[in-house]
Amino acid sequence: MAITKRVEKIRDNYVNTKPHISYERAWSWTKSFQRTEGQSHLIRTAQAFYDTCCELSVNIWEGELVVGTSGEFRKCAILTPEFGWLWINDEIDTFPERGQDPYDVTPEQTEFIRKNIFPYWEGKSVEEAFLARTSEATKKIGVDTGFLDTDSKWRNGIGEISADYVDVLLPKGYGGIRAEAEAYMAELDEAVPAEKARIEFYRSMVLIADGMITLGRRYSKKAAEMAELEADPVRKRELEEIADVCSRIPEQPPKTFREAVQFVWFVQLGGIIAENPLAWNPGRFDQYMYPYYKADEEAGIIDYDTALELVECLWLKYSEWAWTISKNTASFFAGYTNFENLTIGGTKIDGTDATNTISYMAIQATRECMTHQPTLSCRIHPDCPPEFMEAVTELVSTGCGFPAIHGDRTGYQMLSNLGYKPEDARDWNNCGCVVPHSRKTFEWTSAASISFAAALEFALNQGRSRLSGEQVAPEEKDPKTFASMDEIIEAWKKQFRYLVRHGVISLVTAQEIHKEIGHRPFMSACNEYCMKNGRDLVDGGAKYNIGPVFTGVGLSVTANSLAVIKKLVFEDGVTTMAEIIDAIDNNWEGYEHLRELALACPKYGNDDNYVDSIARDLADFFYDEVTKYDDFYGNHFVTAFMGISNYLPTGKVLGATPEGRHAMDPINEGVSPYTGSDKSTCLAALRSAAKMKHDIHSGGTLLNLRLNHDLVATKRGRANLGAMLQSYFALGGFHVQFNTISNEVLADAQANPDKYRSLLVRVAGYSAQFTNLSKEMQDSIMARNAHEAF
Amino acid sequence: MQIQPFSVNDGEGIRTNIFMAGCPLRCRWCSNPEGFEKKELIGWYRRRCIGCGACAAVCPQGIGIDLDALIACEREVSKTGHDSCIGCGACVKACPEDARTRMVTLMDADDVIREVHRHRLFYSYSGGGVTFSGGEATSQPEFLDYVSRGLYDSGYSIDLETCGCFDFERVRPSLERMDLIFMDLKHMDPEVHRKYTGVSNERILDNMARLSSLRHSDGHGCPEIVIRIPVIGGVNSSEENIMASASFVHDVLPDARMELLPYHSLGKIKYEAIGLPFEQDDFYTPGRDEMKKLRGIVAAQGVTVADYR
Repeated sequence: MAITKRVEKIRDNYVNTKPHISYERAWSWTKSFQRTEGQSHLIRTAQAFYDTCCELSVNIWEGELVVGTSGEFRKCAILTPEFGWLWINDEIDTFPERGQDPYDVTPEQTEFIRKNIFPYWEGKSVEEAFLARTSEATKKIGVDTGFLDTDSKWRNGIGEISADYVDVLLPKGYGGIRAEAEAYMAELDEAVPAEKARIEFYRSMVLIADGMITLGRRYSKKAAEMAELEADPVRKRELEEIADVCSRIPEQPPKTFREAVQFVWFVQLGGIIAENPLAWNPGRFDQYMYPYYKADEEAGIIDYDTALELVECLWLKYSEWAWTISKNTASFFAGYTNFENLTIGGTKIDGTDATNTISYMAIQATRECMTHQPTLSCRIHPDCPPEFMEAVTELVSTGCGFPAIHGDRTGYQMLSNLGYKPEDARDWNNCGCVVPHSRKTFEWTSAASISFAAALEFALNQGRSRLSGEQVAPEEKDPKTFASMDEIIEAWKKQFRYLVRHGVISLVTAQEIHKEIGHRPFMSACNEYCMKNGRDLVDGGAKYNIGPVFTGVGLSVTANSLAVIKKLVFEDGVTTMAEIIDAIDNNWEGYEHLRELALACPKYGNDDNYVDSIARDLADFFYDEVTKYDDFYGNHFVTAFMGISNYLPTGKVLGATPEGRHAMDPINEGVSPYTGSDKSTCLAALRSAAKMKHDIHSGGTLLNLRLNHDLVATKRGRANLGAMLQSYFALGGFHVQFNTISNEVLADAQANPDKYRSLLVRVAGYSAQFTNLSKEMQDSIMARNAHEAF
Repeated sequence: MQIQPFSVNDGEGIRTNIFMAGCPLRCRWCSNPEGFEKKELIGWYRRRCIGCGACAAVCPQGIGIDLDALIACEREVSKTGHDSCIGCGACVKACPEDARTRMVTLMDADDVIREVHRHRLFYSYSGGGVTFSGGEATSQPEFLDYVSRGLYDSGYSIDLETCGCFDFERVRPSLERMDLIFMDLKHMDPEVHRKYTGVSNERILDNMARLSSLRHSDGHGCPEIVIRIPVIGGVNSSEENIMASASFVHDVLPDARMELLPYHSLGKIKYEAIGLPFEQDDFYTPGRDEMKKLRGIVAAQGVTVADYR
């Protein structure tokens, strides 16, 4: 079936409009907080949510079947000043014109925000609290440096939650959640201190449920009003249906597929209003939606095409919401991507194949809509049906970068490694880009970005930045005097330990602040155990409380650099430490011959143990060092090799590196080989990556590869791609994602962006509209090595 | 010989191709000229070359950067770098840009088997395995016998691709280990065949007929046969020749399938790399419609058309 006219129109609007800043939510939130001074932060947050649900403008856009928007614009970007407003104040004037992820905002809006909203939050935001409590030493290494970054945990809402549709939301509805909270409250005594805190929590649940119920009713009323005025009988009927659905949803549990889709979007919208969160994951959509579809289909009230159109409308709702982020953050998470990760496929808790009609419908919706959201992920188990593998690889062959493909068993092992019960580990879903996650969990899944390559720079430059010359890390001896590989590795470890330590300090500080002023009643209402325990997520209410995740960046650059030093200096003796240091100090200028020798050394990504074993040792050290620290709640920290798009900003702050990279060039993301250095076959790149013991890095691992489009142009070719995936997962790999669009197409898109507005490409762990990426990021994507078919 | 992992067009699944150098034919459209002779060979991809001179610095033969340039010789006959090269590979190691590449390498048979084993996981998931190819897969019968026996015992799918010009009985034991044999049929006319490949087609047609006598060495079944026609526009692409070819195949090998592959000129860069003239201007690549028509002719003769793309 081709995309319907309705979906096409909504999609065209989505592709051709820039997101617009809306302050409605921020203004309601601010007014509410002004009224609730003196109350507990938890109650104030829940009250602000309720008030916002009552005040937010209600808009139903042309052609919509699934309704609900976070402000007065169809493509809306909202503000959450309670987390951080300093950066917005600094940057808001440049929002419309900036290179990466611009937003429209009018001067009148800007003036209103500066006059009415920001002044209230002065001194009250999470960002200010963090900066006030952080030492100069930590700031020097870990605030806006690109060496170590934690600001997504103190400048923005946290997100990183998978809604529990299975045990909480769909079976109960917000009416049920409200009733449950009241029932718990009735059993508790305010005169008992421990119970008083729980009563407070349940009061927050009631406010959240009332907010959601109000929001639904307001949409019902609006739709009914619009239906009255609507001249077109077809649209009139649709509006009446929306009014009918929203009169019950999300208060009552949905009874039909149609209601379930609207329910899921209201939950998503609630999360957006509450936190403007990153990685707010719909989870295993095919698992919880299929029963509705099956029942409706059997009852004869829905067919495949009708359901598909609803799902496509939902996909567009996921995409119309734009995350509001700073210029710096946008360089890490380019492309308006907010990581609403939706998982399909895999196995059920009982171990049998989980694919169903909705799994295929999700793939078709992504292929037809070509929107950057949801972040579609699939789980592939060893006995994956060939039809599903074909559907997955066929989507890969469109070049859109979706779905992110994950090994079912490795995901299970990653959660088992964190102490999950088997039944929960088996039910894992994806969070954000490539994080194995659960709807029973509270975890900061992308907490610190830590650069392996920065540690190498400090080790080889006496603790100073090579570009600025500033002493940012512990002193080290003159690198020209290093006499052995062991000495150099030790120096790297010393610097890396320092980075880890300051990452830990930053995150524990941020956790402490969030426990004070970061309550999350909306997200807690989506979590089964928060309700059972009567505690907010920040108070440890969830079943699983997992330590924050450190994401390692620059693994392959660092391993390749150490391999060059090992080979050229200490084995072959063709150069000296002094010459290498002089060469990188001079950004290789005048040392072109030495650079050629460095480039000819073994490189990670070619199944060469000479360098792969170095990479694995670095990764193991990362795990050992990070996991020995406990967080604010007493849980050990966790490692990952995800990388988002942070290989660009983390490269920009570094001087040249010994493996031949020039100063400020990108480093690498995840466990991916350095761009262009995986010159062997795709199989060799997969084998190198699989050596990194994925199961211990429970925060997820990411591998990006480019494939020549010819390889996946035929069904047979795609079956081979499927075999490669299964082989990678059998070797222990976790995630791989492919870009298959030819460079000719990308070059044309760069030159003629108007022709390619809807071209989706893989960035890192997610996909974005190619034309929405800065030129430098476009270039970097084109430079990734394409593995040719023979 | 050369080993090429991750081959996907010469048999089922993901395969490792083993190219064996030395070919009795000299097809003028050949896209793998490095496989003509049985000797170690170094290629020079000049577009990648940055002129750093690392190769010249390590060459025991005193060859410069330009492998095509004439170099001074003890005797009066002038030789190019290609002629003087002994294939030691020192320059390949030294070259930072992979401009110098080994095109043909002397390898120990056990090392070949080890290399093939490395990718076993990919074979098992894809139904792939190994394809002996060339040059000419049968040009080193002892090697083929040893390696194919080793791999047969590992249970991999093993295929072979041949020009058809070989001593059948000498190679028979190896052939009987194969799951699939691709044999080329370049032209039905012996004289045209000789003109373009240097040899007549008589032995090839004779060997083709004998393929029907092959039985798997375990006594169960026989190798599948695919007769391949490289369709060279202007040489063998006439409807008459394709029809005669298909008719012949149908007569001598009733169960065989046929695959028609259009000529391509992608081998040009290899001719440059090894310093041979590229003289294929007379040939053209048949278009999609022409190929479709020719495949239709094959099918009309009662032969199933195979497609490994």
